[in-house]
Amino acid sequence: MNVLNRRKMIEVNGILFLLLVVTVAACALIGPVRIDLYRALQNIFSADPNAEILFRARLPRVLLGIAIGGGMAACGVVLQAMLGNPLACPQMLGVSGGASLGGILGLIFFPHWLVPIGGSLIGEISWVPLAAFVGALVSMFLVYRFSLFHGRLHPYHLLLSGVIFNSFVAALIMFLNSIVDFYQAQGLLFWLMGSLSTRAYPTVGFIFAYILLGFFWLWAKGLPLNLITLGEEAAMQLGVEVASVQRQIFIASSLMIGAMVSVSGMIGFVGLMIPHVMRLIVGSDHRLLLPASFLAGGIFLAWADTLARVLLAPAELPVGIVTAFFGGPFFLFLLYREGGKKLAL
Amino acid sequence: MLFALGLGDRLVGVTTYCDYPAEAKKISKVGDFMNPSLEAVMAKKPDLVIGVTGATDPVKAREMERVGLKVVLVSVSNFAEVLAAIRSIAGRSGSRDAGEKLAGRIGAEVEAVKKRVAPAPRRRVLLVVGFHPLIAVGGKNFIDELITLAGGENIAGSAAQPWLNLPDEYVVAKAPEVIIESGMGSEREKSAKRWSDLKSVPAVREGRIYSYPTDKILRPGPRFGEALSELARLIHPECFAEAGGGNKKERSGCERPKP
Amino acid sequence: MNPALQIKNLVFAYNDRPVLDGVSLSVEKGEMVGVLGPNGSGKTTLLKIFSAVLTGGGEAKLNGRNIQDYSRRELSRLFAAVPQESRVHFPFTVAEIVLMGRASRHGPFGLEGKRDLIAARDSMEATETLSLADRYLHELSGGEKQRVMIARALAQEAEILLLDEPAAFLDLKHQVRVFELMRRLNRERGLTIVAALHDLNLAALFFPRLALLGGGKIVRDGTATDVLTEETIREVYGVGVRIHHDPVDGRLQVFIRPEIAFAKSLG
Repeated sequence: MNVLNRRKMIEVNGILFLLLVVTVAACALIGPVRIDLYRALQNIFSADPNAEILFRARLPRVLLGIAIGGGMAACGVVLQAMLGNPLACPQMLGVSGGASLGGILGLIFFPHWLVPIGGSLIGEISWVPLAAFVGALVSMFLVYRFSLFHGRLHPYHLLLSGVIFNSFVAALIMFLNSIVDFYQAQGLLFWLMGSLSTRAYPTVGFIFAYILLGFFWLWAKGLPLNLITLGEEAAMQLGVEVASVQRQIFIASSLMIGAMVSVSGMIGFVGLMIPHVMRLIVGSDHRLLLPASFLAGGIFLAWADTLARVLLAPAELPVGIVTAFFGGPFFLFLLYREGGKKLAL
Repeated sequence: MLFALGLGDRLVGVTTYCDYPAEAKKISKVGDFMNPSLEAVMAKKPDLVIGVTGATDPVKAREMERVGLKVVLVSVSNFAEVLAAIRSIAGRSGSRDAGEKLAGRIGAEVEAVKKRVAPAPRRRVLLVVGFHPLIAVGGKNFIDELITLAGGENIAGSAAQPWLNLPDEYVVAKAPEVIIESGMGSEREKSAKRWSDLKSVPAVREGRIYSYPTDKILRPGPRFGEALSELARLIHPECFAEAGGGNKKERSGCERPKP
Repeated sequence: MNPALQIKNLVFAYNDRPVLDGVSLSVEKGEMVGVLGPNGSGKTTLLKIFSAVLTGGGEAKLNGRNIQDYSRRELSRLFAAVPQESRVHFPFTVAEIVLMGRASRHGPFGLEGKRDLIAARDSMEATETLSLADRYLHELSGGEKQRVMIARALAQEAEILLLDEPAAFLDLKHQVRVFELMRRLNRERGLTIVAALHDLNLAALFFPRLALLGGGKIVRDGTATDVLTEETIREVYGVGVRIHHDPVDGRLQVFIRPEIAFAKSLG
């Protein structure tokens, strides 16, 4: 009987973790610009271009990519299970639409406001991510209310209200884009398409911790998620408080997605594709699928960002384009090879 | 451009982006930059409709011609074309002399600046038009030309795109000596703070980060000369330090170091 | 005596459509009860109320305590339910599905241990599904899926087994096998079994006690002979039948005789 056991957990996650470490090192060393690693390591704390490129320009991005890739993949996994829909992805919950709208409004009005964090001790961050997060919270609240019936969140309603909310917000955003001036519109578009560009370690650290927390919290729901895929009734009969688990998952993933979109814009495709790829490789048991997808998502996005920096140098491609462009065909290939026996539809 | 040619009072309609000079704001709007409203334009019964190639929707332009309006599309993607556009518009509206005068004036302004900055070494410049993410001016762009004329070297000038999202590592690698943040909303203190952690960049080390909050340099037109001169002042301030008299000897800070 | 399951005057309506209208039933530990009734009579609803998926008005007690007072986890160790049909959205193997029956014994991050694997193996052997262990559920036939679901329920090692038309998609051989299995579990392990059934003959053959639902109430409750009479069946099912008792062992069989006059069915 081929089932999940401790050995498989350790092996799979161990390999992926190793790949992750290699990814961090490799992606920090690869870029459109060549650097002298020796010099960079020698001069970590002085004003040397090699060190600054490695540690100030690249490393924060790679780490952010890992956090966000992992977070998006993990949220994709739980949303697909909870909504019982293989096409579900983080972008479907109204949260990402709300966050985008909040960010856009922040960029249009007072794009240069800075907010001190930690009483100016840690530094200042742009208020745009905060505006986006507020947008995320508002939309999360709205979608929740619209999907609540008899005290329970109905997956069908959740999906529907999320999709409709997103369409509405997309129209609003396009409208806003059409009335701002030309250069602002360019900027808005770039923000929307997503970017991992950052040099702020405090922000990266904060987001990393936040996402890790959310991930562990979701991972604990691995077994209930397995049962929920059998159907709500079956899950109830097997001991899952389905209504409560659904609520918790919705809130946790919404908060995670809201934060991720606030910081780096809309990076799609990771949350949709990685769960399926990992399901084909490690199986559907969420206790393994969740950590495996988290690690794989991080690896994937970090590489996608590296490609985004390198492909059309000196310009940087929006990372969302790279994920779709390279992820799509790879996924189709995998589907073609493995899908025959493993797909349930 | 039309105002500069003295044709302002003959202007019957402008797009919603037109806000300079101030008088332009008072003229009724016929729609937006790329997408003018056909009915609004027709309602004004203009003798001449002027659009910009690359921006104005060519389909709309053809429609206007089909209903009998005289349409001329001018191209303004570099300095030479700006001058040509001025002459062309002037010619079409029967003020050829004004056109020549304007073109001449702008040409002279440009020459003056070129002469001023000629002795100084080219400075590497990064011109930023957007943040979150960083958008810089690329190549094949009249702003890139402005930078070159002003004695600078656009670090992103090798790019094929006129605007591009630039990764931070590229900025560090190219070590610009001057960073100019332009466009609406850039502010001095924020500008300096934004770059403060990249101390290996000469512009950061020497505090040569400027914010240029107007969009003068972002619109190709008769203010080309003014924009150029202001830009040059930012890139080569030492060439514009008038220590009284304008004596050549006094402007020694501007010279290229002798080999 | 503390009956395993006791319901009194249970009422339930789906969005203003009443289904159960004062149902009272008491099941002792170790009993094997078949619930009969035409489609829409509320058999499935009844089972769902037992497993706390639905809540009805009236009293519903398990081992003397209100079902509502148990946590779902506790309930899943006491009841095991086999649904009529199941759809799984993601590819799971048979072994994985059967092991899910053991879920209530694990906390977050828990993995199955030896005990669980043994329970799963046993239940797969009992349902003749061990050979399918590493196949994907969606590859199986309806009947095979049904047996896997029964295996999952057995793996729960619960005291009470609730089955909703367990023979629905099975061929004749497997129908008989499944009921024989249930009888064996009832006799050897003392499992309390409550099953919703549609085949009157199999019900009569295997279930010592039958309860007939009609018009939202229990119309008859007792042995096959008590419950399956020609008038009762005509009233509840609206079909004419002839009852025959086997001369050798007295077992009851129902012969369908459509030519006998139809009577108005209840409900």
